Amino acid sequence: MKRLTRISIMKFALVLLALTGIGAILAGRGTAEPAKPAAMPLKFKDYNVVFVSFDALQAAHVHSLGYSRDITPTIDAMAAQGYNFTNDISVSSWTVPASMTWFTGVYPSEHKLTNKFAVYEPPVTKLSNLKELAPNIVTLAEVLKQNGYATGGFTGNAGVNGFFGFAQGFDVYFYEKGKFGSMGVSIPKALEWLAANKGKKFFLFLHGYDIHGQNVPAEGFDYRFVDKGYDKKYTGSAKEQEDLREEGLEKGQLTLRDEDVKFWRAIYDEKINRTDEKFKQFLQAFEKLGLMNKTIFVLTSDHGTEFYEHRHFDHGFSLYQDLVHVPLIIKLPGVVAGKVVTDQVSSIDVMPTILDLLDVRMPEAAKHQLRGSSLVPAFRGESVAKDVYSETDYRLYTFKRSVTTKDGWKFIYTLENKTRELYNLKSDPDETTNLVDKEPKIAYELEQKVFAHFKSIGSDLTARPWVTGLNPVYDSQAKGAKKP
Amino acid sequence: MFRSILRSAVHTVLAAACTAGFCSTGIAASAPAPTAPALRHEEMNVIVISLQCLRQDHLGTYGYQRDTSRNIDALASRSVLFENAIAQANFTPVAQMSIFTSQYARMHGMVSFEISKDTVTQRTLPEILKYYGYATAAFASSPEFFVRFDTSSGATINTADVYARSFDAFESTRRGLGPKHVRKIPDESLEWIRENKDRKFFLWIASGLLHMPYAAAVPVEEQTRYDDRSYTPFWKRLTQLPAEVAADEDPSYDVLSRVSRGDFYWGFQPVHHLSPADVQYVINRYDAGVHYTDQFIGELMRLLDSLHLTEKTLIVLHSSHGDDLGERSDFFHYDVSDGVVRDALIIRFPLGEFGGKRIAPQVQSIDIMPTVLEYLQVPVPHEAQGKSLLPLIRGDKGASGSEYAFIDRIPWWEYTLSKWYLEFQGNRGAHFAASEQARLKEYRDLLRQEFDRLDYPPGDIAVRTKEWKLVLRKNPSLLNRVSWWNFITGTAHAVDETALYDLAKDPQETMNVAAKHPEVVNRLKEKLLAWDRSMESRKTVFRKFDKRLIIPYP
Repeated sequence: MKRLTRISIMKFALVLLALTGIGAILAGRGTAEPAKPAAMPLKFKDYNVVFVSFDALQAAHVHSLGYSRDITPTIDAMAAQGYNFTNDISVSSWTVPASMTWFTGVYPSEHKLTNKFAVYEPPVTKLSNLKELAPNIVTLAEVLKQNGYATGGFTGNAGVNGFFGFAQGFDVYFYEKGKFGSMGVSIPKALEWLAANKGKKFFLFLHGYDIHGQNVPAEGFDYRFVDKGYDKKYTGSAKEQEDLREEGLEKGQLTLRDEDVKFWRAIYDEKINRTDEKFKQFLQAFEKLGLMNKTIFVLTSDHGTEFYEHRHFDHGFSLYQDLVHVPLIIKLPGVVAGKVVTDQVSSIDVMPTILDLLDVRMPEAAKHQLRGSSLVPAFRGESVAKDVYSETDYRLYTFKRSVTTKDGWKFIYTLENKTRELYNLKSDPDETTNLVDKEPKIAYELEQKVFAHFKSIGSDLTARPWVTGLNPVYDSQAKGAKKP
Repeated sequence: MFRSILRSAVHTVLAAACTAGFCSTGIAASAPAPTAPALRHEEMNVIVISLQCLRQDHLGTYGYQRDTSRNIDALASRSVLFENAIAQANFTPVAQMSIFTSQYARMHGMVSFEISKDTVTQRTLPEILKYYGYATAAFASSPEFFVRFDTSSGATINTADVYARSFDAFESTRRGLGPKHVRKIPDESLEWIRENKDRKFFLWIASGLLHMPYAAAVPVEEQTRYDDRSYTPFWKRLTQLPAEVAADEDPSYDVLSRVSRGDFYWGFQPVHHLSPADVQYVINRYDAGVHYTDQFIGELMRLLDSLHLTEKTLIVLHSSHGDDLGERSDFFHYDVSDGVVRDALIIRFPLGEFGGKRIAPQVQSIDIMPTVLEYLQVPVPHEAQGKSLLPLIRGDKGASGSEYAFIDRIPWWEYTLSKWYLEFQGNRGAHFAASEQARLKEYRDLLRQEFDRLDYPPGDIAVRTKEWKLVLRKNPSLLNRVSWWNFITGTAHAVDETALYDLAKDPQETMNVAAKHPEVVNRLKEKLLAWDRSMESRKTVFRKFDKRLIIPYP
């Protein structure tokens, strides 16, 4: 199976640059930028923001990030007009922790939305909630609301359920109860809200699970990318995918036929393709509102999803690139950029970037809250490359922490069993060869870096034992989980 | 040092070539990029000298009046000396593992003498230095570090055990059977230095020579250097003792483990009260060992000088722990008195940096590894529980030692006896009185029975401050039941569950003043129990073994 590599991303970026007629690649920089200093103020005070999360969209399946199938024309078109960050790494590998970081600008260990339940000791169970777990944290929607923005969130529920605290700061926060909801539902709700609020400056969060394993198209699959000869062992249902996920967790790994993996990728591609189409319709309707040149678009995903790259299905349980490498496209109004930023950045940088663009400051009491940094310098051609950190405590099944250096080393530490993994992403983008024994010094230093990082954000990883369990997630019950 | 000289020479040549107009772009491109000054771990050697049972107060540099340590004193004058360095445990393999891992005993897991390498898996100082390209070698003459015997076959178990696994080369210095061949000076290390002088190395020299039987491996003229020629060892004068015991001049474990509260016991009777001359004889022999060890240190330093290694080598000399020399109730390192846990610690930095500094604040032996790593510019591992002493050494503002030093008395000595010693002694009936032999099996069975129930070796805990030491017995009733002293004296002395010692007024810790200072007890107890809870919640898993792996005590 053809896999996306960093090299292919680079190649694609170069082709794209050549095609759009932009020359002058600054040597040694991740960012290619024509020399036109001070031409752009890069402040968009009182502009609107449309923030879109295509839940579970793996970077490697986006055409403008190098995927061979042309399944994301709308997203690609926006990338061609905006800034395409080809190395955005999410702080986590599943929805709750990853998404809350966009809205708080702090790591999951700090906002503490690291699991569905804050307490899960049946019969005592308690859902996680931002106000209770991290009462001093201020959300992006709260800050924008304080600055006069109308704030609306239209989502697919589940991991971005308002109850967790995602609704904090939103005038309106919609989530389709009891479902992994579709953009087919959230988009019309969003458009309705936009029509009513178009006279105000607004912040819109648009989200849907259309690409996620737990959602199937309302109209059913047409199997557009499935090989004709496939024996239909699987049909692509949510149940099948959940069962595969649980089997992988239970057994430690799955065993699938090549044709099944191919089938699941084809199903995934169909979902992506259908989602791209829905987003296209949203854009067409949005354009009719006449707000295009007053609106910043941020398109991204909370995490990827695994189709057997490391012999698992779904996401949350690891920190491999298939789960944490996500698309990030920022399109600025009135600026036709078409720039590819290959610098490695983190999803923790999204909130500071939006605030910087809108020229909005954090409230005094929370002025030290943000852990990331604005990516605006990248728009001016400056380097924003950084070492990035990810973490997951997925359902207490595992506790993992990682660092990915800007020069391509990735170190993953599993706390419950002290397993260490080191990968050279430049030569081994699929993370198949653990170099811990071959490169003991690099592994050792990165391990210290991971622990120092988490200590510096108030989460001393050595201070507590890490005891695994298997908690249920969302509305499904995991096998082996204690029933409430 | 050599490499940085080479590097700057290359730069100079290239710069000259460019000035002369030969600097084509091709040459410039292939020239090494200008680099930052070499990091210390790129060129600095490390030697750690671990002296088992070394009492700091028997060294001149720590104020001892007898001339035992000219060479160590000279080394100390060019080093940083710590006046109050506290060991984390009273037994050698446990205490030394704290030094090599910067962890308390229950964290590093070396909590029993018969433990296997699979149980102690924490990263050690030499292991980390291996990552940085160090050649690592060890020469150890403490049997605690290098031998495991299978009790059923008597065969030596592989040497790739807990300590050996951290080193490229791990050399024991055993030459034959018996104390004169085991607890000797590990002077083979000198030859290794000569052969490896051009490599970047970490060398561990661990000497067991000071362990009882005192000075047994010291040549006779050196061994007797402090003897009072008119004195005959008291056990040679006791007619009850069999010839086998009476024959030995060395103050051995067989003899000294029968001394409790100043009395020598035989057949459960106090048959002799030790006179000052008796105690002095033991100390004389102990000091002869110190003097002999000191000569080795002198030889080592002269060798380093002659090979021009002194100034590119970080040298740490320390006690693994000390010994009680009869000041309290007994000899040996049975308990956690200051004689046992207050270590010598001397660090010589290259070029004599900080030379002559004496650090008074209390520090812990778990601080040694972070200090070495920080000095070498290597990150300190996150699992380290100690802290670098460099801020204290440099005199940084706000730098402090450890107000509280914590000590694990783990395992109990009786636990170790149950694992091998009594079995071993069962074959040495002549070393026991007839009445004792009859009860020995009973005692051994009792120990087995009590300890086999436990899923973790039993231990006590202590905390030390500048002024006080508080010792808590975690299971006093069991300790009383199994106590070696109660066995050998035939008397049931109850151990104090809580003991507080005023270190300023009573440095030898002979008076438990807990009842007089309840507020001090409460304050220290709170600290100690909080530490204990945090250790208990994270302690290593202890696995029992079908096979008993033992360390033979010569």
